[in-house]
Amino acid sequence: MTVQAGALALFGLAALWFGMAVFRTHSMVRSAFSLLTTMAALGGMFLAMQAEFLGVLQLMMMATEMAIMAIFMMMYMMDPGGLGQMEMTHQKRLSLLAGIVGGLAGLALAVASAWGPVASRVPNPARQTHDLGIELLGRSMLIFETAGVSILVAMIAATTVVISRRHE
Amino acid sequence: MNLWLLLLILAGAYLVAVIENWVVTGRLRLLAPLLAGIALLGRESLVPRLPDRLLFETAPPLLLAAAILSMAVLPLAPGTVLVDLATGALFVNAALAYVMVAVVMAGWGPDAAYAMIGGWRFLGQLVAYSMLIVMPITAVAMRAQSLVTTAIVSSQAPLPNAVAQPLGFLLFFLAAMAVAFLPPFDLPTASDLADGVFGEYTGARLAILRLARLVLVLSLATAVTVFYLGGWLGPLLPPAFWTIVKTLAVAAVMLLGGRYLPRTRSDHLLEWSWKLGIPLALVNIFWVGITLLVVQR
Repeated sequence: MTVQAGALALFGLAALWFGMAVFRTHSMVRSAFSLLTTMAALGGMFLAMQAEFLGVLQLMMMATEMAIMAIFMMMYMMDPGGLGQMEMTHQKRLSLLAGIVGGLAGLALAVASAWGPVASRVPNPARQTHDLGIELLGRSMLIFETAGVSILVAMIAATTVVISRRHE
Repeated sequence: MNLWLLLLILAGAYLVAVIENWVVTGRLRLLAPLLAGIALLGRESLVPRLPDRLLFETAPPLLLAAAILSMAVLPLAPGTVLVDLATGALFVNAALAYVMVAVVMAGWGPDAAYAMIGGWRFLGQLVAYSMLIVMPITAVAMRAQSLVTTAIVSSQAPLPNAVAQPLGFLLFFLAAMAVAFLPPFDLPTASDLADGVFGEYTGARLAILRLARLVLVLSLATAVTVFYLGGWLGPLLPPAFWTIVKTLAVAAVMLLGGRYLPRTRSDHLLEWSWKLGIPLALVNIFWVGITLLVVQR
């Protein structure tokens, strides 16, 4: 239990540290990879909590997603390597205020929420995968299908917009 | 046992290097990779001017770690596997995703145009191959009713997946070659980019990158063996022998096959995989579903 809690804390701190590193670098690529490390650390937290499927899924999905995000950040920023030391932040006071309020709200939510009893027994990993599958195909199906179809529609719409622009 | 398995992975990577050397030069020289390795380690390991040092240094060990991790869940024989995860087949995917991260890092790190183009090329290549890795594995897991790699091998006792799901086998095989950026999918390290992502690395760093690539080829050949060729299953001889022979045969075909094909273009690769590969992978999933529901019941 102590090793588990220690691993959880370690991954949690790593996630926070790299989360901060995202905003402390001028390089878009470093920023994207810092975010990837944060997400991978969250995957580590899942693994530390014995949620094997979710942990492995998090590690897999985030590597691809963050790298693809990196190329978009590269394309759209004027100083992607950060070598020009270009200032890319704005509305600092408002951001600071929003960050503090959001952080405190999240913390309050975490402390004030009734989390229920701590799980004393964890189902084995194969059982977890099975249960998750049943959950996704049952109660949560509508949510996931709605999200999936929305993303698909957005992708098709974006592609259509690009294609019609090309013909102009 | 784990140390022995790690040493076996290294020995396997060495054999892959021997096969690669044989394929390239046409001569079977057992000591060639060893001599090349010693020569590389003896050379100066240069650091380019103005690199992104963190990414430049992280890329080689990360590529090696990703390759070893993807190999760690693939069984050599019943009960002989580095880590027997309940999500083994998914874990192979997760580890392979970091191959791309390492290659993009190796492309960006040196602050060199050709390397950077190679890195971004590989990101485009990932968009082409990733679904063709995941979707065939889904069909394999469907048949085994499990993500555990040993269960996947056992499920092939009546018939190997290469016969039961030929479409999935073909797609996975090609996608595996693209993951290991082997010819004709060697876009990130292509000669038109003067070795691309490997071009700015020398000495020990290049030795690690080359070793990582060899372990990656070995890992993907083992994945093909475990997922499609029945892994350790075979008559008379010990189970581990079958896995090793099949893996080396797959590696040889991977290394040999691409040499007779022209290098693909990035846009063609994306077109083929999204317009042809993914629909075929869906057909494969439907095919496996139907055979599971109708034929095997």
